[in-house]
Amino acid sequence: MITVTEGARAKILELMKSQGREGLALRFGVRGRGPGGFVYRLAFIDASERDATDRQEEAAGLTVVIDADSAPLVEGASIDYVEQAGGGGFKIDNPNPLWADPVALAVQRILDEEISPAVATHGGSVTLIDVKEGTAFIQLGGGCQGCGMADVTLKHGIEARILEVVPQITAVVDTTDHAGGHNPYYQPAKGGRSPYGA
Amino acid sequence: MNPILLVMTTATYRARAFVDAAARSGIPIVVGSDREPALGSLWPERFLGLDFDDVAKSVRRVEAFASAWPIAGVVAAEDDGVVLAAAIARRLGLRHAAPVAVARARDKRLMREALQRAGVPSPWFLSASADEDAAELAHEVEYPCVLKPPALSMSRGVLRANTPAEFAEAFPRVVQIMRDAGIGDPEVLVEGYVPGAEVAVEGLLTDGRLRVLAVFDKPDEMAGPTFEETLYVTPTRLDAETCRRVEAVTSDMCRALGLDHGPVHAELRVNDGGIWPIEIAPRSIGGLCSLALRFRGGVSLEQLLLRHAAGEDVGDWEREPAASGVLMIPIPRGGILHAVHGVEAAREVPGVDEVRVTIPMGHAIVPLPEGHRYLGFIFARAERAAGAESALREAHGRLSFDIHTE
Repeated sequence: MITVTEGARAKILELMKSQGREGLALRFGVRGRGPGGFVYRLAFIDASERDATDRQEEAAGLTVVIDADSAPLVEGASIDYVEQAGGGGFKIDNPNPLWADPVALAVQRILDEEISPAVATHGGSVTLIDVKEGTAFIQLGGGCQGCGMADVTLKHGIEARILEVVPQITAVVDTTDHAGGHNPYYQPAKGGRSPYGA
Repeated sequence: MNPILLVMTTATYRARAFVDAAARSGIPIVVGSDREPALGSLWPERFLGLDFDDVAKSVRRVEAFASAWPIAGVVAAEDDGVVLAAAIARRLGLRHAAPVAVARARDKRLMREALQRAGVPSPWFLSASADEDAAELAHEVEYPCVLKPPALSMSRGVLRANTPAEFAEAFPRVVQIMRDAGIGDPEVLVEGYVPGAEVAVEGLLTDGRLRVLAVFDKPDEMAGPTFEETLYVTPTRLDAETCRRVEAVTSDMCRALGLDHGPVHAELRVNDGGIWPIEIAPRSIGGLCSLALRFRGGVSLEQLLLRHAAGEDVGDWEREPAASGVLMIPIPRGGILHAVHGVEAAREVPGVDEVRVTIPMGHAIVPLPEGHRYLGFIFARAERAAGAESALREAHGRLSFDIHTE
């Protein structure tokens, strides 16, 4: 059961009206996972965009459509709208744990307890995005994103440790857009200093 | 098995290739880089922070490390690490080219002197300090000549001068490039321009014996004023006798410098006057170009280098039968790179393995002689060298670059 607060309902209706899209349903679901937890999807959809496996609910007079994969992950969640000094935003209060799968939980534990604290000292972050068929998909952020040593950190450290501790995982895939990072690959080396200190 | 110490900076192009090679070969590695590694506190036996500017300090650190976790060999991924790797190997008593030989190869003036002493054919050369009067010097040299920084790579700062006026203009520009690179008291190497076709030799030395892994043709003419590396295609289309002489001169270059163990990458020119050494580096091929080399069974160059450093016999590893090549994508002009179009179309050219743009969108691209970053790489394989070359050219022709200059 999804809850839509009065504030969220008012904002949704306001947005629908301003976009000339009154009467549409609200698509709600989990798009992925990020450093702050679940990453949610909120969109207005019409009937043609609904899938046969979608779950449909009525909340605060709105039709809320949830895809089958997201349904157990958002059960009992509440959608609110919060006004803040820098602009408002939708806030999701979700009672569900980030991971239900024990393999994903084991990987997340390694990241939380071993990897992330160490990587954070370099201004970096590591996020578990998904676990599918023995592959853990992760994303590097902060100082790790685009660092020339990201492959070393990943393969020689993170992957080696995950494979060692979680035998169900056979591969770790980096999904990071390194080209968008602050330390992009292949930055010039410190530059050809003479070996004689000239 | 004790691990191999990989020495590489955080700016390396080759971290993935070496780490993958280690995993595929089952050879343990320790990564020594120029910043304290993020995971060094968790696994001190796998990561090591090194100061590339303080060789003595770094050698002591590795020595202490090796007393706890012994090391079987040392490999420098790129130019930045070769001097440090040699010093570490010497201290630990590991097989590696001697530090003095590596230092000679890293300094083009010392290299020219060593080649001259050994009687290896070389153009005339002289070394000029930054404060020399360029206009005066311009009248003391022969033309055409080439001005180059002794210790920069990727053709950075290398300029051809055909006249005294061009020399006088080029000299301060080369000095400034060296200063921008952090070289405090620059010396410019000036040498006679060597015309002719250029080839590159990828080799591996074992106790003084050179094994040539590949000879690459560089089919694009490199006649100056700058010398941008573009096409590398192997096997060479030189005739067998000329190829044999190229290999022999490369071997002579190694002997002249005292390089006797580990990878070498040499560049030579071929003309009616003979085979002329341009330079030799005590490391394997740079950038991502090693992806153009594959050995039987799909073995990478990095796998071969790790096995060699571990003391294994790699003498019977042969390059795959197919021709292959790499195009270091030429920089069309300087500016901010906004988009590269046609990458998928380039990948669809028959024979093309991969297209990689290595400068992120929104970043500056700087042409030679000041530039020192690769715009990207195209890799191709074909039955024959001509096929690989034409695939690379066609793929490149499908790319277009949106570069903003304002």
